[in-house]
Amino acid sequence: MNLADYKYADIIHRCFRCGYCKFPVNWMDANNCPAYARFRMETYSCGGRLWLTRAWLSGEIDWSDHLAEILYSCTACKNCEVKCPLGFSVDILNMIIAAKAEMVESGRILSSVKEFLENIQRQGNPYGHSRVKRGEWLEGTGIEPYQGHDFLYYVGCVGSYDARAQEVARALGKVLQKAGVSFGVLGNDENCDGNEVNKLGEETLFEMLAEENVAQFKRLGIQKVVTLSPHSYNAMKNDYPRFNRGFDVMHYTQLLESLLSDGRLDVSGGFDAAVTYHDPCFLGRWNDEYEAARNVLAAIPGIQLIEMERNRDSTLCCGGGGGNFYIDLLGGSERSPARIRVREAHATKARILAVACPNCLTMLEDAVKAEGLEEELVVRDVSEIVAEACGIT
Amino acid sequence: MDSIRQALAEIVGEEQVSTHPEELYIYSFDLGTTEPHRPDYAVAPRTTEEVQGIVKLANKEKIPVVPLGGGLSLAGLAVPFKGGIALDLKRMDSIIEVNEEARYAVVECGVSQAQMCSYLERYHPTLTHSEPGAPGTATIGGNIAIHGQGDLAQPYGFNSDMVNGLEVVLPTGEVCRFGSCAIGASWFTLHPLPDLGLFLGWGGTTGIITKISLRLFPCKKIRGVGLFVVEDEELVPEVMYKLTHTQMAEDIIAFSQAIPPFTSGLQHFTINLAADSEKELEFKQEIIWDDALGEYIRSGAGGFLGFSRGLDRPVVSKTSDWRKGGGFEYVGSIMPIEKYPECYRRGREISERHGIPYTVLGRCIGIAHAMMFSWTYAFNRADPETVKQARGALHETDDLVLELGGTIWKPGLYGQKLVVDRLDPNTLNLMKKVKQLLDPNGIMNPGNWEVSR
Amino acid sequence: MDIIACIKRVPDTSEADAIKIDSSQRDIEKSGLAFKINDWDEYALEAAVQIKEKLGGTLTAVTVGSQEWNDILRRALAMGADTGIRIDHDVASEDPHIVALILKTVIQRLPYDLVLFGAQSEDFGSGQLGAMVAEMLGIPHATLAVSLEARENKVHISRELEAGTLESYTIELPALLTIHTGINQPRYISLGGIKRAMRKELQVMSPNDLGLSVDMLIPMVKLERLELPSKGKGAELITGAPEEAAEQMAKTLKEAGIF
Repeated sequence: MNLADYKYADIIHRCFRCGYCKFPVNWMDANNCPAYARFRMETYSCGGRLWLTRAWLSGEIDWSDHLAEILYSCTACKNCEVKCPLGFSVDILNMIIAAKAEMVESGRILSSVKEFLENIQRQGNPYGHSRVKRGEWLEGTGIEPYQGHDFLYYVGCVGSYDARAQEVARALGKVLQKAGVSFGVLGNDENCDGNEVNKLGEETLFEMLAEENVAQFKRLGIQKVVTLSPHSYNAMKNDYPRFNRGFDVMHYTQLLESLLSDGRLDVSGGFDAAVTYHDPCFLGRWNDEYEAARNVLAAIPGIQLIEMERNRDSTLCCGGGGGNFYIDLLGGSERSPARIRVREAHATKARILAVACPNCLTMLEDAVKAEGLEEELVVRDVSEIVAEACGIT
Repeated sequence: MDSIRQALAEIVGEEQVSTHPEELYIYSFDLGTTEPHRPDYAVAPRTTEEVQGIVKLANKEKIPVVPLGGGLSLAGLAVPFKGGIALDLKRMDSIIEVNEEARYAVVECGVSQAQMCSYLERYHPTLTHSEPGAPGTATIGGNIAIHGQGDLAQPYGFNSDMVNGLEVVLPTGEVCRFGSCAIGASWFTLHPLPDLGLFLGWGGTTGIITKISLRLFPCKKIRGVGLFVVEDEELVPEVMYKLTHTQMAEDIIAFSQAIPPFTSGLQHFTINLAADSEKELEFKQEIIWDDALGEYIRSGAGGFLGFSRGLDRPVVSKTSDWRKGGGFEYVGSIMPIEKYPECYRRGREISERHGIPYTVLGRCIGIAHAMMFSWTYAFNRADPETVKQARGALHETDDLVLELGGTIWKPGLYGQKLVVDRLDPNTLNLMKKVKQLLDPNGIMNPGNWEVSR
Repeated sequence: MDIIACIKRVPDTSEADAIKIDSSQRDIEKSGLAFKINDWDEYALEAAVQIKEKLGGTLTAVTVGSQEWNDILRRALAMGADTGIRIDHDVASEDPHIVALILKTVIQRLPYDLVLFGAQSEDFGSGQLGAMVAEMLGIPHATLAVSLEARENKVHISRELEAGTLESYTIELPALLTIHTGINQPRYISLGGIKRAMRKELQVMSPNDLGLSVDMLIPMVKLERLELPSKGKGAELITGAPEEAAEQMAKTLKEAGIF
């Protein structure tokens, strides 16, 4: 390995390991880096990861499975970048992703990451399920294949294949139908958005996915996209422009917000519960969108919205980013960030933990079970709450 | 080695022990110029009992134990010079109790400064602690162990003077308590019970502090900083004297730095003020700017640069990136305030000779009883030449401190030797006896404060 | 050391219900399937690349298949092979003897010290190819290697037998080995790697180019029919509290004559 070939060779030494990156914006905990919260060894903090990257690339330490684990345990939640006060902080995640890219190019990555990427290469989703099953969630919904509609409803891999997330994909579809939005889906022709591939450092695979998606959308004349997942939203909004993205993209909470303010959704059915909202990293810290979901929830009668200690840009990542909803490097402990977050939600005395991301949904729901809190805390997607308030069963 | 790893895993759990090269690499470093030394194990305990277990094992197997808090001493005080166990205490991070009436908090050693600040602000807004201004990951335990000072140094003294009680694990594994907590009362006072002079200022070589009762102070509704400047460094001691006499201010710091160039050669003061009302604030400002410092302002020898409301707590430090180099180290000293002018002049000369833009700072401790004067040398971690230059400047500055009649605060190996060489022989002898008594097998942070030689 | 690795293209069948028999009843329905390098062959390739990295020399990847099979050669080249060779022939007939004959003819024309095969294929799983080719070439072979250490003119291997037993061999080269999964951790092949590998050489030949005419490629075994196994009764789900379920389970096993 050669430090000189590394893209950020000129700044990687600038990390002081002062540790500001461990804190949330509101300083309330020294463990807001999900990997550090899980393992509590200095190596798993952002500074540890940067120092180890430099040591590896300059030959001071060798590649090992443990080094790969440390690197891939980063969920790209952006807490470190937001907190670091130093001049190079804007490139922190770029540096970590570039380090992952070095590993990817050398071929030496964790076998779970290899599976993740190969499954996407082969079947267009990280689970390795067949492409021809991607549209199965549509059965019985009456949702139309995209053909010149106003919006493309882009579902993403988790929403298409994960059983629980499919329920949310359907709920959102029904809400949009109820609001009379003109939209269609790609079904089996939908391909992975590539956000996690990008954060895992497989640059050429991401390029291929982005280019193909952009070309496909152009062919179909798609002008506006609404995504289920903030991950898709992030990739399409921030990374697709360099592939000549010719469409606008919004996250579904933003669309619901405007539908509500236009009076196109009747939520008078209400939703009677104390609710706490978990800010997803790829909507919040990555894209500064904290209020859309809150405004949607606030518009529903009966909801009592309680904030967790770490909310908005202080949110604690559920631990599912950077492919970790699949490769699961942060699971298996009561210190898993998802379980920490669930305990935090439970402590607010809310009965509902509201999410706006299918990754957060699966991570946090599993955590509720692991914590034995199924009787006291239920994870629901914002779209499911809206669906209920609209009287959709 | 394997059986020891196994034994450690049985104490703290498999995931909190590591012999992986990655952990050993990271835990071998101090963030300053000290050369790294690899530990044999990296261990992160959660409870005092686990710490006891580890220390007893270490004694039995004669393995060094190196306690580590935030790792921000920048003097190599947690570098495993003789290998052994790097003991990461940051998992011991519970705030156990805050007693508002008696104004104290009982915390585990690994509670971070930033956590303390934000917790008090949120849940006990009329109370505050003396925040040292190091990056927020610095721990309460580590800070008092090195006699740190914070933003309440004037008028309340060293952070280590704000201790009502300690729980310590001795190098032989027993747990001791000091202060009223030792007789089963609450943790409200240190005196008059037998004190803890055996564990503060010893660089972690006599035991591991696991719990602290920390004194808290009134936090007023309005907190802010007044800025004052003089050109003549000779004026600094008398300005400090006059300011402290008013008893109206909190933290008083005088500093001077080469960058930005328009500040070079000037001596700036930051003067912290706190008040519960506009009336109180106005009164204090009058006493300070009109009465105490009025003569300087009127004669033009000094300038008042304004008062801004709000304190950045915890302080966010960008020093490490000044040379875009990811590193700095400083010599901290405890000096009589009258030495400020010489400290500044000599320090500036050393910096310039080593090609480093100078940065000096003096923080008033107590009622001008002393100051912490520091000389900061930034380096570029990717350029070994700059590290060498910084090291040279640091050593020269260590020499300077003693030459000028002060003493080095939290010295690294070089400074430790200078101090030990000058110590009263009976005192040194007593230190040896204490060290021998507490740590007969010499396992506690060996390499640092080697008085038993 | 000059190594030849023989590889096969197989469908991704991680989902059982992905496989359907086509109208000819002698092949599976290919549309809707994704294809990849046979799992065992990937381990063989990785083993070959590791030897090449350690001892130097050349690695040639060889396959027998139709044009779509170029993609597995590209992956082999991306992994570290120097040359890829495809003999253009539809192997749907799946008589290993024919494939062995073709491979033997190619291999004979190339310099080699070591020939590697995967132990079996994921689709038909006959496990015969490596042994057949070795016999045809008249070189020693060992199958199911789970460890492999190469020196200049010999290899040390261990083979996996039943009950976790290993037997070790030292084999003089040239020799042929079939490789078992788990022998190493095959490296990831990035898309960037595949793109860069486009610059490497990929030769295509027909059996005719090898001097093999159609009447020399008569199968000794003929595939009559492919069918899916008939569905069984299905699983019996035992529910209830642990004590009840255990009792029921014990009763069921006893009635089934298990004990």
